[in-house]
Amino acid sequence: MEQELPIIQIRNCLLVSIQTELHDRLALDLQASLMDRVRNVNARGVILDVSAVEVIDSYITRILNDIGKSVRFMGAECYIVGIRPAVAMTLIEMGVELDSVNTALNLDLALERFELLQ
Amino acid sequence: MKTVEKEIGSILSGTISSITQRSIFNRLGGLATTPIQQLTPSDRATIMQELENSVRLFARSNSSQLIASCAKALSPGAGNGPGSATAGAGSGSAAAPLPMTPKKFSIEQEKDIATARLEAWSEAVRIGLSKFASVKVATAVSELARNIVFYAGKGTVELRSVKDDRGILGLQIIASDQGPGIPPAKLDEIWAGTYKSQRGMGKGLVAVKKLVDDFHLDTRPGVGTTVTCVFKGER
Repeated sequence: MEQELPIIQIRNCLLVSIQTELHDRLALDLQASLMDRVRNVNARGVILDVSAVEVIDSYITRILNDIGKSVRFMGAECYIVGIRPAVAMTLIEMGVELDSVNTALNLDLALERFELLQ
Repeated sequence: MKTVEKEIGSILSGTISSITQRSIFNRLGGLATTPIQQLTPSDRATIMQELENSVRLFARSNSSQLIASCAKALSPGAGNGPGSATAGAGSGSAAAPLPMTPKKFSIEQEKDIATARLEAWSEAVRIGLSKFASVKVATAVSELARNIVFYAGKGTVELRSVKDDRGILGLQIIASDQGPGIPPAKLDEIWAGTYKSQRGMGKGLVAVKKLVDDFHLDTRPGVGTTVTCVFKGER
């Protein structure tokens, strides 16, 4: 069951829509292929769409933070978009921080921050 | 007896076209024509996984609400008696939620985490917890099941409904394993928030404790760990 998340390029941004369970292996693969793509296309930003993710626990939070950190090390910025209200409330209650990534309400707004939509 | 196809079809109609519905049911294969009462927990998990993906993809709005209604319709006991779960749809005033039969899941691999989480979520909705509370339940189960897979290798997660002193149903989660246990020194670090495991985790237990209404941890090095917690229902 080899699985890979598709990475879509929009101008100088990379977009990944997370529609599936992020397990250890998949997350590491995603991180590695994102790094490669960021370098190959000189991406300024990486956008992870989590609007389909019903539950974000501390483990998934760590994966997102790790991806954010590594993207930042490469000089790009990472945006998490589409966090559901119930998920946000749960993260607050758990005291878990998403501090290595930026967030935006939706894809449009994230692209706007990268000045792609104007 | 209502089949999965019939029951789910009646929920999805109006939001998802019949052609799309057909393709969803085709993907379910034999499960689509199975009567709801004959579904096993793993059948339900498979169906819900498929429905969640498809509904989110094809429904323009309300996908979470639709998914919750599907979960409710599929839950055991939903098809019993005349006028099943769909009868009260719209008014939002379904009959008083019934206690659930306790369920136990064995947790060994990462995919078991998803199954347990999904079951906990649909049970929480079924016994009348709010949408937010149900997501909290699913998150807590996810944390506990992950701890089992990562630290103990295997164990079980049990779900049961409990009535509080006001007579309102809540959900009890018992996560149990015969793993290495947590030594007292490490436990102190965990609660102090200074513990960081090799996998960068160690935040899971603290997170669960903050989410639940009632938390009890019983851990013995070399014997195993049992976490018992309760989500209370709201009025």
